[in-house]
Amino acid sequence: MAHIPPEKHTSLILSVEGVEKSFDGFKAINDLNFYLREGELRTVIGPNGAGKSTFMDLITARTKPDAGKIQFHLDNGQDVDLTRVREHDVSQLGIGRKFQNPTVYSSHTVYDNLKLSLSGERGIFHSLFYREKPADRDKIYSVLETIRLVKHAEDLAGALSHGQKQWLEIGMLLAQDPKIMLVDEPAAGMSDEETERTGELLLSLQGKHSLIVIEHDMEFVRQIASRVTVLHQGHVLKEGSFDFVKSDPQVIEVYLGRQTRKH
Amino acid sequence: MKKAFLLFSLVWTALVGAVETGEIRMLLEDLALERVEDQEATLQILADSGDEYVTAFVDAWRVGEIREYEPEGSELILIQAVSGKYVRVATGEVIQISNAVYESLEKNRAPRQLRRLLTRVTDTIGLASKDVNTRVDAALKLGASQDPEYLPELRKRFEVERNGTAKKAFEESIMISLLANAETQEELIEAIARLGELHSIRAKDKILAIVDSAKEAGDEALLAAAQKASQEIADHEELLKHAGSFFRGLSTGSVLLMVSFGLAITFGLMGIINMAHGEFIAIGGYTCFVVQGYFSDWFGEGSAAFQWFFWVSIPVSFLVAGGIGFLLEKGFFRFLYKRPLESLLATWGLSMVMRQAFRLKFGAANVQVANPDLLLGNFEYAGISMSYARLFAIAFAGFVCVLTWLLLTKTNLGLYIRAVMQNRNMASSLGIPVSRVNSMTFAFGCGLAAMAGAVLTQIGNVGPTMGQAYIVDSFMVVVVGGVGNLLGAGISAMGIGVFDQFLQPLLGPVMGKIIVLGVIILFLQWKPGGIFPTKSRSMDD
Amino acid sequence: MKLFDNKIEFGGYLGACVVLLLILPAMNAFFPDGSALHFSSFQLSLWGKYVTYAVMAMSLNLLWGYTGLLCLCQSLFFALGAYAFGMYLMLHIGVDDVYNTALPDFMDFQGYTALPWYWAPFENGAFAIAATMLVPGVLAFVFGFLAFRSRIKGVYFSILTQALTYAASLFFFKNNLDLFGNNFILFGGNNGLTDFKEIFGYDVNAASTQRWIFVMSAILMLVVYLIIAWLLKTKFGKVQQAIRDSENRVRFSGYSTTTYKMLIFVGTSMVAGIAGAFYVPQVGGINANEMTPAKSLDVVVWVALGGRGTKFGPIIGAIVVNIIKSYTTRAYPDSWLIILGAIFMLVVLFMPNGLVGLPKQLAPVLARIRGNNSTSATPAS
Repeated sequence: MAHIPPEKHTSLILSVEGVEKSFDGFKAINDLNFYLREGELRTVIGPNGAGKSTFMDLITARTKPDAGKIQFHLDNGQDVDLTRVREHDVSQLGIGRKFQNPTVYSSHTVYDNLKLSLSGERGIFHSLFYREKPADRDKIYSVLETIRLVKHAEDLAGALSHGQKQWLEIGMLLAQDPKIMLVDEPAAGMSDEETERTGELLLSLQGKHSLIVIEHDMEFVRQIASRVTVLHQGHVLKEGSFDFVKSDPQVIEVYLGRQTRKH
Repeated sequence: MKKAFLLFSLVWTALVGAVETGEIRMLLEDLALERVEDQEATLQILADSGDEYVTAFVDAWRVGEIREYEPEGSELILIQAVSGKYVRVATGEVIQISNAVYESLEKNRAPRQLRRLLTRVTDTIGLASKDVNTRVDAALKLGASQDPEYLPELRKRFEVERNGTAKKAFEESIMISLLANAETQEELIEAIARLGELHSIRAKDKILAIVDSAKEAGDEALLAAAQKASQEIADHEELLKHAGSFFRGLSTGSVLLMVSFGLAITFGLMGIINMAHGEFIAIGGYTCFVVQGYFSDWFGEGSAAFQWFFWVSIPVSFLVAGGIGFLLEKGFFRFLYKRPLESLLATWGLSMVMRQAFRLKFGAANVQVANPDLLLGNFEYAGISMSYARLFAIAFAGFVCVLTWLLLTKTNLGLYIRAVMQNRNMASSLGIPVSRVNSMTFAFGCGLAAMAGAVLTQIGNVGPTMGQAYIVDSFMVVVVGGVGNLLGAGISAMGIGVFDQFLQPLLGPVMGKIIVLGVIILFLQWKPGGIFPTKSRSMDD
Repeated sequence: MKLFDNKIEFGGYLGACVVLLLILPAMNAFFPDGSALHFSSFQLSLWGKYVTYAVMAMSLNLLWGYTGLLCLCQSLFFALGAYAFGMYLMLHIGVDDVYNTALPDFMDFQGYTALPWYWAPFENGAFAIAATMLVPGVLAFVFGFLAFRSRIKGVYFSILTQALTYAASLFFFKNNLDLFGNNFILFGGNNGLTDFKEIFGYDVNAASTQRWIFVMSAILMLVVYLIIAWLLKTKFGKVQQAIRDSENRVRFSGYSTTTYKMLIFVGTSMVAGIAGAFYVPQVGGINANEMTPAKSLDVVVWVALGGRGTKFGPIIGAIVVNIIKSYTTRAYPDSWLIILGAIFMLVVLFMPNGLVGLPKQLAPVLARIRGNNSTSATPAS
C-alpha cells in the first residue's frame, strides 16, 4: 500500500494524482499520489534524491509534470489545474513557498520585505501608485509579532541572523495569506532553541493554513508532525503518524537506518 | 650520321616514350637549319616529347633571338640569347662571343610552312608534358578554343592517357570542342550529355548558349539534352558552393572552438567572464611574429630552417600565454572568483590595457606573419579546393580537443579540475590545492587561446585588436553550448562556424552575423541553458 | 512624498540646478570672450555632451544598479536615439551649393535621386523626436521579451546584449545593404551623419542655439533624476530592487518579474534614446563608433566608478571619467586606454561602491587613523 487514501469527511485542498517527471531519463517523480486536507500540517521526509524538491517545484508550477494531475481545490468548489498556471500566479491563487536557503530582499528593511509580500494587487500600475493604508501597517505588525521581529522592523534584512531570515521568509509567506504553505527545511542552520520556536510557530499556523513541511531533522519532525509522508525514489513509500512511520521497517531501511542523529 | 640518329630517336621514342632534352635541342637545331630529312617524323618526336624547351625555342624564334653563327672550323650552329649569355641551341653550352658579334649575326628564319607546323606542335606540346597539371591545363585550353585542328591530337592523347584526372580533362576538352565542331546532331547531343555527366562547369556557358539557339530553332531533342546537362552542371556548382561553405565553416568553427574552450573552462571553473581572453589570442599571434623575427635573424628568410618558425611558435605561444595567464591569475583574477559581472568589467579593463600595450609595442597596423611552405596552396578534392592553412586549423582543433580531453580525464589536474568545478568548498576541504588548480587551469585556457592565435596567423590578420573579432562569437559559443561544458562548446563552435559561413554568401557578412545572433537568441528560447545546461539544485542560480 | 533622502542630496540637486541652468549659460552669454569669467561655447557644448552621457549612465544605473541587469546595449539605445534625430538634422541641411541637391551627400554620391521610404518620415521633426524614443523602445521590447521570457539573466543577459550591440554596430558601419537583390542605402556608414545646419529653423551652430540646447539637456538630466528619485520611493522601485536581491522570491510572491523587467528595460532604453538625441546637435554628428560594445562597457565604468545603485553616482562617474578622458587624450594620447583600463580594474577590485560610496568605505579607516593618532604606526587595512 503506497498511500493512505484521504478521509471523506474533511475537504481536500490539494490532490496530486499519478504524477510523473523525468529529467534526462532520470525519473525524479514516479507515479506520485498525494492528498492534503484543509488546515493540515503535513511533514514530508525522505533521503536525498527522493524527489522532495521536485515535488515542491511541481506544486508551485516551477516545473511541469510529464503526466498526472495536480489540483488545487478552492473554497468555492472550483478546481484549479496547477499544471497550467504560470509561476507568478501560483502565489495569487494562495500557495506560498519558502525556499531551502532563506531568500529575503537583503537591501530592503524587514518592514519593506513584508510590505512587498502583502496579499493584494501585483500589477505595475498598482505598484507605481500604491500608498500604504493603515490596515496594511497593522497586518505587517501582526506578522512581525508572530515571527518575533518587531524590534528589527527598520533593520536591513541582509543584517539579520540566519534563523531570523528563515522566520522573515515564513513571515513573508504569512503576509501573502496563503491557503497552502510549502516550507522547505525551516530548521536548517538554526540553534536548538530557534528550532523549537520555529516548531511552535508552524504548529500555531495549522488550522488557519494548510502546510507541507520538508525536513531532515528528525527531532524537529517529531515535534511538529501529526502526519508524515515518506518519499522514496519519487514515490510515496509510507504515510502515517510519526511513530507509525518511524517503526516501519521499510522506512528504516531506506531512510532512518542510514541517518544517524547528529547534534 | 644525322639519319642514323633520327632513326635511333624514333626507336627510342617508341620504346621508352620519352626523349631527353639534349636530343630535343639537337633536333630543333637541325630542323631549323633544314638538315633533317623526315620533317614530319621529327615534328612528331617533338610533339610527343612534351618538352618545355620546344615552346621556349619557338617563342625565341618568333622574336628573332635565334641567330645563325658559324664559328671557325665548324658547321653552322644556332645561338640563343638566354639572360645575357649566348647559348648553343643544340647543346645548351655557353658560346663566348661579344654582344656586338651577336648583334651582327643573321636571324634564323625557317620557311613559313615549317613555322606553321612548329607552332602547332607547341600549341599541343603541353598535352604530352610529364607533369599532370601541365597536361590538364593544356587540354582545357585547347578545348576552350574549340579549334577543330586540335581535336585529333586531343583524341589521340585521350586514348593513351593513364592518369585519371588528366583523362577526364582530355575528355572534357574533346566534348567542349565538339560543341562547336560536331559533325552530326547525334554527336552533338552525345557531347552535351557527356558534359552534363562530367559536371563540366567550363562548358556551362556554351551549353546555355546552345539552349538559347535550340529554343529559337525549335530543336526539341537538342533543347532537352542541353537543358538536362546545364541543370546537372548547375546542381553540381551549387553542391561545390555548399561544400566550400561547409569547409570554411569548419575551419572558422575550429578557431572558435580553441578560443571558447579556454573561456568555457574559466567560466565553469571560476565563474569568471574573461573579456581579456581575446587578447591572449593576440599574444599567440604576436608570439609567432616575434619568433619569426628571431628565425629570420638567425637563419635568414630563405633558409630551410626558417620554415620551422611557425611550428616552433605554436608551443612557444602556448607557454608564453600560459605564463602570463598564470601570473595574472595569481595577481588579479583570483580576486574575481564567482563574481561574474564584476569580472566582466575588470577583465574588460585588462583587455584595454593589453590592447594598448600591443599597439605601443608592435604598432597599430597589422604585422605580417609568413606562411610556411607546407601550408601554402590548396588541396583539391572532388572539385572543392581547401587551403592547407585551413585544413591545418581543423586538424589542430582536433588535436586541442584530444589534448583537453586527456588533460581532464587522464591527469590528476583534470580530476582536480572536475572536482573544483562541481563543488569548490568540498574540493578544498578534501585537500585539493584549489588555488593551484585554478592557476594551472587558467594558464591552460590562456595557452589554448594563444595557440588559436598562432593558427590564426595563417588564415587571418595579426593586429592589436585581432582578439576582439572573435571574443563576441566565442561568448556566444559558450552560452549556446552550456556554461562550462566542453562538449557543448565544441558542438556549438562548429555549429555557429558552419551556420555563419553558409549565411555569408547568401546575405553578406554583416546580415549573416545579425541572423546568427537572432537564431542564437531564438535557440535560447527553446533551451535557455544551452545545449548541455548545468543542472543546479540551488534556487537562485 | 519626499523625493530626497536628506538635506545634502537636496542641496546638491539645487546646486546642480543653479550651476547648469543659470551660472554656466550666463557665463557663456554675458561675459565677453577673453574675460576670466567667460565660459566658451566649446566648453559649453563639451559639458553638454557630458550631461547627455550622464543621462545615459543614469538609465543604465536604473537597470544595473537597481534591478541587477547588466545591460551592454545602452550605447546602442543612445546611438539609435542619436541617429533618429541626426536623420532629421541631416534632412534639413538644405540644398547643396555644389551638387545642387537636398539629399544627404552620401546618397547623392551613390546616385540616389529620391529619399528611400525609411528615411522620408524623418523630415518631420515631431516624427523624429518620437522616433528617438520609439526606435530604442521597440528594439528593447522585442529583445527584452525574448530574453526575459526564457529567463536569461546575469552574465547571459550581458553577453547577449553585447552581441546585439555588436551586430547593430556592424550594420551601422555599412554604407549599403544588399538584400535579396534589393539595394538599401543605410545611414552614412563610417562617417555617419554630420555637417548639420539647421535645427527647427535655427542655425544649429549659433552660440545662442547651442546655449539653449545645453539648458534643455540639463533640464532633461534634472527631470530624469527626479523621476528616478520618485520611482525608487514607490513600491515599484522596491520590487525592482527586490528583483535584484532575489528574483525567485519576488516571482513566488506573485509578481510577474518578466513584466517588471520589461517595463524597466524599455523605459531606460527610451531615456538613453532621448539623451542620444540631445547629444547629436551638441557634438555635431553621430557615427557607428558611438554604439560599439566598447562604448557600452565605457558607460558601465562610469556607473561603477561613480557608484552603482546610488542616485548621484552615475552623474559623477560620467562627468569625472569624461573630464579625465578629455584631458589625457590630449596630454597623453598613448596612455589614455591604459588609464581607462586601470580605472576599470581598480574600481572593481577596490571601490565596489564607487566614488559616492568612498567616504563610507573609508570611514572606518579614517576613524582608526584618528584613533591611533597618538601611536605612530597605523596598520593598513
